[in-house]
Amino acid sequence: MRLSPAVVLPALAVVLAALVLYPFVGTGYGVRAMLQIFMWIALAGSWNLISGLTGYVSFGHVAFFGAGAYTGAILVASAGWSWPVAALAGGIAAALLALFIGYPCLRLKGPYFAIAMLGLNEVLRALVSYFEGLTGGGNGLSLPTLDATRAIYYVMGVLAVAVTAMTYAIITSRFGLRLMTIREDEIAAEAMGIDTFHHKLAAFLLSAVGPGIAGALTARDQGYIEPLSVFPLAITVTMIVMVLFGGKGTVWGPVLGAAALFVIQEIVWARYPYVHPLLFGAIIVAVVLLMPRGVLGLLQLKYRLPRTI
Amino acid sequence: MAVLAVDGVKKRFGGVTAVNGVSIALEAGRIYGLIGPNGSGKTTLFNCITGLERIDAGRVRFKDERIDGLKPSQVARRGIGRTFQMIRVFPELTALENLLVVTRGPRPQAERRGRELLQFVKLAGLADEYAGNLSYGQQKLVEFVRVLMTDPTLILLDEPAAGVNRTLLNDLLAAVARLRDEGRTILLVEHDMKVVMGLCETVFVLDHGDKIAEGPPGIIQADERVIEAYFGR
Amino acid sequence: MSVVVTPEMIGQVVISGILSGALYAMVALGLALIFGVMRVINIAHGPLLMLGAYVTFFLYSRTGMNPFLTVPLAMAALFVVGVLLQRTLVFRVVDAPELSSLLLTFGISIALVNVAQNLFTSDLRAVEYITGSWSVGGVALSKPRFIAFVFALAVTGAAFLFLKTTRLGKAIRATSQSREVALVCGIDVGRIHMLTFGLASALAAGGGALLAVIVAIQPEMGGVWTFKSFLVIVLGGAGNYPGALLGGLLLGLVEQLASLFLTTQLSEVVAYVLLVLVLLVRPTGLLGGRQT
Repeated sequence: MRLSPAVVLPALAVVLAALVLYPFVGTGYGVRAMLQIFMWIALAGSWNLISGLTGYVSFGHVAFFGAGAYTGAILVASAGWSWPVAALAGGIAAALLALFIGYPCLRLKGPYFAIAMLGLNEVLRALVSYFEGLTGGGNGLSLPTLDATRAIYYVMGVLAVAVTAMTYAIITSRFGLRLMTIREDEIAAEAMGIDTFHHKLAAFLLSAVGPGIAGALTARDQGYIEPLSVFPLAITVTMIVMVLFGGKGTVWGPVLGAAALFVIQEIVWARYPYVHPLLFGAIIVAVVLLMPRGVLGLLQLKYRLPRTI
Repeated sequence: MAVLAVDGVKKRFGGVTAVNGVSIALEAGRIYGLIGPNGSGKTTLFNCITGLERIDAGRVRFKDERIDGLKPSQVARRGIGRTFQMIRVFPELTALENLLVVTRGPRPQAERRGRELLQFVKLAGLADEYAGNLSYGQQKLVEFVRVLMTDPTLILLDEPAAGVNRTLLNDLLAAVARLRDEGRTILLVEHDMKVVMGLCETVFVLDHGDKIAEGPPGIIQADERVIEAYFGR
Repeated sequence: MSVVVTPEMIGQVVISGILSGALYAMVALGLALIFGVMRVINIAHGPLLMLGAYVTFFLYSRTGMNPFLTVPLAMAALFVVGVLLQRTLVFRVVDAPELSSLLLTFGISIALVNVAQNLFTSDLRAVEYITGSWSVGGVALSKPRFIAFVFALAVTGAAFLFLKTTRLGKAIRATSQSREVALVCGIDVGRIHMLTFGLASALAAGGGALLAVIVAIQPEMGGVWTFKSFLVIVLGGAGNYPGALLGGLLLGLVEQLASLFLTTQLSEVVAYVLLVLVLLVRPTGLLGGRQT
């Protein structure tokens, strides 16, 4: 089966055009839902860059979302920056945080990194609560009121496209293949001259930027943040479930996973909010044991689809 | 002048001394063999040279530069390539991708070179197959040509003949001889004595981490300590 | 910050540090066992501890049983849970890439916490059995913490004795040295894995049971324990079981010392900074560990 660019590119263009026009025809709820899907695509796609490609599991990716949210919110609320610039700053802050964590932890093998990321979230939450003067502590932080939903819709959409395009560019490059060798056999990769540490670090920094920007945009969109709202474990769990379901290490897996899970969540599971984590936990266990490549990974193998699917 | 000089290298694991002060020197454009009973420290010595194990004492010099203490990737980038006893291809990368990942510079050239090398080991038709789907022998060949992609000065081969059929083996040995003729140095660990005797100009023998003999294969074969190490008293 | 440090304060730090250190060591030993034997980091270790805490809470609140006597019961219950988890799910990922075992135990961990939230509610629960403290030379010795310390020491000591002297204990250590050798020696590795997971869960549960007497418990209490147990292992050197003892004491002391200068709010930050520093300076652990 071959998907030629002559078919794929026009199809993509049509979808993108529809998404661009959507805010003019869609309902308020619809626009908000699409905005959420964009956010999840950006988050899941970013997690995929580090964990899907290198196999280094980040259990604390929400930390970058939260760091971006606080950076953006503080810059808007206290320093009076305009929100798009503050969003970029949120991405940069997240990347700096990734550098700080990645430098000591990525020199070592997988478990050290996974556990360090597991703890990071709690630590940031504690720090945010502690530095009340800057962050408002447990009382949260309010941003000046502004109705920018439509603008944020477009920026978040661009972010989702950018993360996906970056994933495509990485996966089709030798840099991306090298990231995969870390997942496949890190020792062999090192012995073949691949500087695995710097490759991992680069992937990790790239994977932090998207969540940082998304966090800052979400803070602006909601107008109010507090430690519990931007550092919940649930956001990390959702990213992981989306990528595992769609297919880790693929270009479109996170997109498919984000859209599918968001829709299922809204339609079916919204009625059972108390067992969400149980369902997600069960999905993770089931996917790991029964379908480790996810939906697209499975199709890729079965129908010999190219890596770019 | 020696390309590689291993000087009094020691490596201990807990109470066990795996390599006990071994010294060997390799000159450019020659093929060397490294033999010894199982557990005599051959693979550990490979790991010490390539930086996968940190050595406890001694020195490793490559092209007159100390390489002990460097990361494996730094050692590899200086021109030492290796294969593994247990094959280590990247299973979810295609055969061609396995070769591409180790290259730098323009990609089209790298792809052309990769396809040439696959052609050379008669795997051109399987270039786009996942390496994990290839047979044992085919994976071994992919691993072998992957080393060549980096254009190494020194090549360490860990049991290249094991599990490879006769016809393929002859091609492989011819390829190794050709690499030598290009001026590269090869050090191979091998249990198949026919291969060692037919190919190597100098053989080092390890036993329990000690180097017990060194010399041309003919002489080594007759060395009493070597016979003792292999067959016991 | 101007903090006057008196000798009594130092004494207090040392005492409190040692008291909590023994608990850390006990729980971390469980995580270290699973890692040593199966090369699996069990993310669900903390949630298993949480379940142990609830066993004690319910036995105490429903039957009025002495909470310290519930420790063996909590351990036994979670031993069974651990064996079942290993037997049904975890055994499938023992030889899989790290990614699989980390994600699988992560999935189990989220599910366990959520089940606890639904069954037990997220309310804080406490076992108020003994309160107050003894005064020893100007240093306050919290009664529940001291008794918990004695229990933790006893359980940890028993676990080491088991590993050192019994056939099964030796089989566990042999398997963590080399699975191949263990197989050659006729050890049923699958059974050893189940036993190890059960034992590790029991150690976590014991920690949870003792914790229930000291602090208020709730379903999400476990996460930080997975993290701290791992930190203890890193401090002591991965694959080095006695190192867990030293690592536990060290973490206890550092946390207490930090509490002199910082609010308790930041105690997790201190532990985290400690982890990052150790990984940066001495990644094989302070005692040195086995290379993998």
